[in-house]
Amino acid sequence: MNDRLSETFGALADPTRRAILARLASGKASVTELAEPFAMSMPAISKHLKVLERAGLIARGREAQWRPCRLQAGPLQDVAGWVEHYRRFWEESFDRLGDYLQELKREDARNKNLKTKAKESRHVRGQRKN
Amino acid sequence: MSADNAKISAGKSGDAKHSGSMDSSEWDLVIRRVFDAPRALVFKAWTESTHVAQWWGPKGFANPVCEMDVRTGGAIRIHMRAPDGVVYPMKGVFKEIVAPERLVLVASALDGDGKSMFDVLTTVTFADQRGKTALTLQLRVIKATAQAPQYLKGMQAGWTQSLDRLGDLLAGIRNDGGNHLEGGPA
Repeated sequence: MNDRLSETFGALADPTRRAILARLASGKASVTELAEPFAMSMPAISKHLKVLERAGLIARGREAQWRPCRLQAGPLQDVAGWVEHYRRFWEESFDRLGDYLQELKREDARNKNLKTKAKESRHVRGQRKN
Repeated sequence: MSADNAKISAGKSGDAKHSGSMDSSEWDLVIRRVFDAPRALVFKAWTESTHVAQWWGPKGFANPVCEMDVRTGGAIRIHMRAPDGVVYPMKGVFKEIVAPERLVLVASALDGDGKSMFDVLTTVTFADQRGKTALTLQLRVIKATAQAPQYLKGMQAGWTQSLDRLGDLLAGIRNDGGNHLEGGPA
């Protein structure tokens, strides 16, 4: 199943993996360096790196034992583009919702006025009877 | 989201995966907006289909089909029609409803065969702010196929073109000396 974007989003859903990517944004790093800020075992970090690698978000070097990790921009750009489109969709919907709520408020106010007037006129009629 | 779900994942990392208590970094997109309307009214505008049809989608969109069964597990069905005439169907399901505070739903955009191209977990929080309503929309993409970006791009092209047309129209009116349309681009 070619569902790379899902995989990218899935990989990004985890705060540790996001932090790893943020670190890699400032340059290559070894697994040991990446593990440093986290209170996590090496196997746990390796697991996260595998998820990121599978999603195409990072690449591992072949330089002997060092095998530095580096960021791969492509899938991140896909996600950024997607999110930006989606944000615009919602921002514009909210513009319309804001206008529509003002309309609803005016309508509510009108209805209340009518009710008050109806009450007043009933009251006046009642007084006339007396 | 059910209490069971929260229990299952609570032990994993210490934070319950209840959608309301998720760390902000676990969302793909968070949008906040304060609306000058009481919370009950804003909640109503989100949960009655006749109202939702009036504002769902970008400027120039219409919603010829807008149905929602507002209860947990209830279905949502919306067909958005872009200004260029293209119809974008979507469906959804309500996961949680706490009037007038919170809505959780999963929204899916459908392709020509009615299959989902992307599923987005959507949490809407309504907070009272001295008579106004602070609305927070949190989105997390659960699934997105390869067609999804193309789909959104197409949709956006459909509406920005129409905005350009509106801009032209307004420019034309201004040149005629008329100035009776409000809300045009500055």
